[in-house]
This record gives sequence, structure tokens and C-alpha cells, in this order.
Amino acid sequence: MKPKARSKESAHRKSIDLHAQSLVICLGPGGVGKTTISAALAVRAATLGCAVDVMTVDPAPRLLDALGLEADSSEPVEVQLEGIRLARRNESNRARLRALRLDPKRTFDSIVARYALSDAARDTILANRIYRNLSGALAGVADYMAMEKLLELAANPDTDLIVLDTPPATEAIDFLDAPRRLLELLNSRAISLLGAPAGLFKSQLRIVDIAARTVLAAFDRVTGLNLLSDVQSFVRSFDGMYEGFSTRAAGAQDKLRASDTAIVIVTTAESSRIAQAREFVGALAGADLRVSAMVVNRVLTELPDAKELASAHIPPSLKKKLKRNLADYAALKTREEVSLNALRESIPADAVLMVAPDLGREPRTIADLAEIGRSIRGA
Amino acid sequence: MTLPRVLFVTGKGGTGKSTVAAAIALALSYRSPTTLADLDRRMSAAAALGATPTDSTSVKVTESLDVIALTPRAELEAFIDRIVPIRAISRRMLRSRTFGYVTAALPGLEAFLLLERLRIMAGDAALEDRYLVIDAPATGSAVELLSVSSGVKGIAPAGTLNRLADSIEGFLKDATRFGAVITTTPEDLAVREALETAATLRDRLGVVTVATIMNCVPDLMFDTSELAAMSPLGDHARLAVRRNCAHEKAALATPRFAADGISTINLPMMFTPAIGRVELEKLGRVLDAKLICP
Repeated sequence: MKPKARSKESAHRKSIDLHAQSLVICLGPGGVGKTTISAALAVRAATLGCAVDVMTVDPAPRLLDALGLEADSSEPVEVQLEGIRLARRNESNRARLRALRLDPKRTFDSIVARYALSDAARDTILANRIYRNLSGALAGVADYMAMEKLLELAANPDTDLIVLDTPPATEAIDFLDAPRRLLELLNSRAISLLGAPAGLFKSQLRIVDIAARTVLAAFDRVTGLNLLSDVQSFVRSFDGMYEGFSTRAAGAQDKLRASDTAIVIVTTAESSRIAQAREFVGALAGADLRVSAMVVNRVLTELPDAKELASAHIPPSLKKKLKRNLADYAALKTREEVSLNALRESIPADAVLMVAPDLGREPRTIADLAEIGRSIRGA
Repeated sequence: MTLPRVLFVTGKGGTGKSTVAAAIALALSYRSPTTLADLDRRMSAAAALGATPTDSTSVKVTESLDVIALTPRAELEAFIDRIVPIRAISRRMLRSRTFGYVTAALPGLEAFLLLERLRIMAGDAALEDRYLVIDAPATGSAVELLSVSSGVKGIAPAGTLNRLADSIEGFLKDATRFGAVITTTPEDLAVREALETAATLRDRLGVVTVATIMNCVPDLMFDTSELAAMSPLGDHARLAVRRNCAHEKAALATPRFAADGISTINLPMMFTPAIGRVELEKLGRVLDAKLICP
């Protein structure tokens, strides 16, 4: 748990100070607008004078347009900030925004090509049928690649802030923990032994290893797949590459826990999403990762005053309808408040709760993103 | 009723997939025994019906409606239990790190076993004249889940697993046994994702989409002359436009689905402080009239 002293000072903190961060990571369930919020925070930071990179994972087509990204731009692209009011220019104003879209498969291929000790090892990995056939095979590859790219971007001294959008997750920890899991797989002595001929190494195997081996062998026998040897050859072809992967993954883990890294959980006010967001907070705390802020996206804007209707000069029938319309949306607002209160109770003492009002339309331009970025406020 | 035995309810995150799945199951259960299978670890659809199943044993909600939790993990455990007859060893193995690596390397295995379970459940359902409503993952993961059998065929060009994959593919293509229900809201993004999903399911997997459920459609409250009359009212007018707009967006989306041969069922926006059993019953009545017995 965090020291109590912190909560006092943070009680006054209403919003997240983008100037003070070098990395903002947006996590959250699917369909809550994570990419929009990531892009909006990035545009906001740029308008405040920061040099920003935003890395998105799977942006909607219109957002891709708004950021000026091609469908396959995996290298940073300069985003035009025309029409956006920027902070006054001075020495500390480095306003710049670059966007890139992560293609995990391609990044993986290029990293394997870069670090493989031999062409043969590279080809073995890229041709492995497990890797080729099952999308999402080797859970963690996409997430690991995001981390690799992140470190590459972070090494650039001309960048003040990186905003990282993450793939939708059911478990908060999936993304942040994936590199470790992938590395454990690659470094697993047991898995190499699994594929070894029976009898050999037996003394080194624990009973569960033997059981796992039995199951996989039975599975292989039934299916005629020879998966054991595939998994094994896949792991073995990483021999010698492991050091580099491991060092960089450790670097990424340090970066996640650095004091100028902010983890932001994005959600909507829908009750099931709020429940999910609360679980995220707990899971992250369990992994010693601190949540800096929660952003509730697409909240209803303030409702108009019912009194205005009483004095309005409009037909009584219309007045009645407008009253009913207001009452309808007030009911939705109540539903939202219940969710927000539940979130307030569970939010860590040193994290801020923010809301992003519903624009009422899909963001299509940089100006739309700037508007969302501006309107994100403490709640 | 001409519905397939299994209704696979999917949709973009935030379109009310679980609520719709629960409402369909509730409405179906008034006509026929029904099982709601929740594939979501959080069991939101089950919770909407007031049930909290914890594993793959079913929980009765009413005389004709039960709820079951299905997880890939549980299917894998059942599979392992069949192969390793000594339970103590199979449990220890499932907890072991080594096995974690293997399943991490073969995520398709768990999903594959889950599909096989659905196929068997569909067969049982036909014998019992029962319907199965599935609260499936959101669209992207749902397509990935259903595609796993073709992935498996890629790594197993022959043999038992290949035959199993074949029978799963046949099951998914059989409109009497399996059909998708895609949820959306009037929002452009959700509509587009629903259209793309329907096309992917049809073209890549041969899965029929039974209907699109357009969720959260408010009634059209104001006509043009009323909108003109209220324009000096600022925020009140904006709120009125917002309501009308959502209705009109829904109306514009319907022909887009129709062009792909998919019918759209509008569900009214529930302007209530919470979604409870009363609201589910209301949605269920619409679904009964439009989806179950049209």
C-alpha cells in the first residue's frame, strides 16, 4: 500500500500534470474509447508545448485519418497541428506531435531479423507453424513488441512525452506483464526438456513436468501433431537472443514504475465497465504498479435547468415534451452518478478521477481531439 | 420458431451485448427451455438475471431458464482430467509453471476445446428441444474464437484433430444449429463494426447472422416544426436534437444491414436510473415479437 501522507496533497490535485510525465499508459476494457483518450491527451500535451509521440495499437479508421496515419505506418509520422491553438512559443515550448501505429507481427519479424544470431535461427522462428497459423499465438508477442517500440522511442532525447495506447484487455495486468511471461517461456529450461527423448534428463524433471509431458505426448499421439518438437524448436531458436530480450524487458519494467510514468485507466460509466476498471486498479496494485488517474469517457454533459423551461415562450405541448426529454436524460445522469460514486469509493487515494464529456459525435479531426483533451477534467 | 439452437451474441464493447443476451434468454425461456452460457469471466449476463454461476455447473434462474459459466480454462482442465486419470497429479500439473508456458504457446487449444463443447451442447439442446444463448466475447475476440478451428486445421492437416476441426466448422456453418446475433448502437463506429463482423463471419467462416440488434434507440419525440420553435432554448434544444439524432442514425443504419440481407431489430433506449429485471422483461417482449416469433 502507498504511504498515507500522499493522499493529503493529492486531495487538491484535480487533473494530471502532463508536463511532469515522460510516459502515459492508457489501459482499459474494450470499447471505452482508449485510443481516443490517448490521442486527446497527446494533442493536449502538444498544445501545452511538449514534444509528444503517441503510439496506438488499433485505431478506428477515422482516428487514423485524424492523426494522418496510413493503415501501415509503423514509424512515427508528424501530425499537423494546424488550426490548434498552441501555448505561447518560448524556449520551453517544443510543441510537436508524432503518431505511430504498432503492427506487432511486423515489429516481431523485424526484431527477430535484427537480433537472431544466424539466418537459420531467424527462418526457424518465422516459419514455425505455431507462430504462423494461430493468430494471437504466443500470447504476449504483441504486448512485448509494444514495449520494445516504447523503449526505442523513449531513447530519443527530443521527445518529452510518450502516450501509449494499449490493446483492449480483460485483465489489466495482461499487457504490462506480457513481456515477462514471453521471456519466461523463451527461457524455460523445462520446456526444452519436455521435448527431449524419454529417459534422458528424467532426474531433472519434477513430477508435474513429467505429467505435463505425458499430457502433451498423449495429445501429440492422438493428434499426430508433434507440437512438442515445434514448441521446443521454437524456444531453442531463441538461444543467444535471450540476453538482449531480457535486458530490454527489464528496462521496460523499470520504465513502468518510474516516477514520471503515469498509468491511466480509461473506462465508461456503464456499470459493468466500472466494475472492470475497479478490478484493474486492484490487479495493478497487486503488481506494485501505481494508477495515477482514471478517466471516465463519454459522460453526459451537464443537463440544462428545468426552470428555464417554465418561463420559455413555447407551446404547452412542446414544453411538456421537453420536460419529459429532460427527465429521461436526468434518469441516465442518475445512473451515471451511481457508477461514478462507486468509482470514487474505490479509487486509490493518490489517483485522480477525471471525466471526458461526450462530444456527441465521433472524433474526426485533430481539432476534435484537442477539444476532448481540453475538456477532460477532474470529477 | 426457426431460430438456430445456438445464438451467439456478440458486438462491439459498450453496445450492451450482455444485457441483450440476457434479454433474449429470458424471452426465449417463456416458450422453450433455455440455457444462457456466459463466456465472460465477469458473468455480466448471468448477473443481469440475478444468477452467479461459478463453474460449468448450471444454475437455475427460473423453471425453464438456467445459466452456465463456460471458460476456456475449465474446458482445458476437463480435457486434462480425461487424459491424466489421477486427479491430484492433473491438478498439480495445471498449476505448474511449465504447463502455463505450453498453454501460452498454444492459446488456440483452449478456445478449440470450448468450441467443441458448444458443438456438443448444441447436439444435446436439439434432443431436449432447448435453446442456447451465448454471451460471447466482443467482436474482435469472438471472430478470433470462431476462427480457431481453421487455425487448427492449418497446424494439423490430417488426423483426429483435423476431423474434429472439420466437424466444428460444419457446426458453425449449419444455420439450424448455429447463428450469430450482433449487437450495435446507433453510433457510426458500432454500426460499422457490426457490418464488418457480419461480413467476416459470413465470408470467412460461413456463419449466418440471424439479426442485428440495434440497442439504445430513443423514440422520435420532436418534429421539424417543434425543433424550429425550440431553437432559442439553447441547451434544452441541444438535448432534444441529441435524442432525435440517435433515432435518425438508427433509421439510417437499418437499410445498410438490409443491403447485406440482415434484418435489424430496434430496442428502445431505457431511460431509467438502472437496468433491472423490469427493463429486461421489457426488452424481452420486443425481442419475442421481432426475433423469436416474428
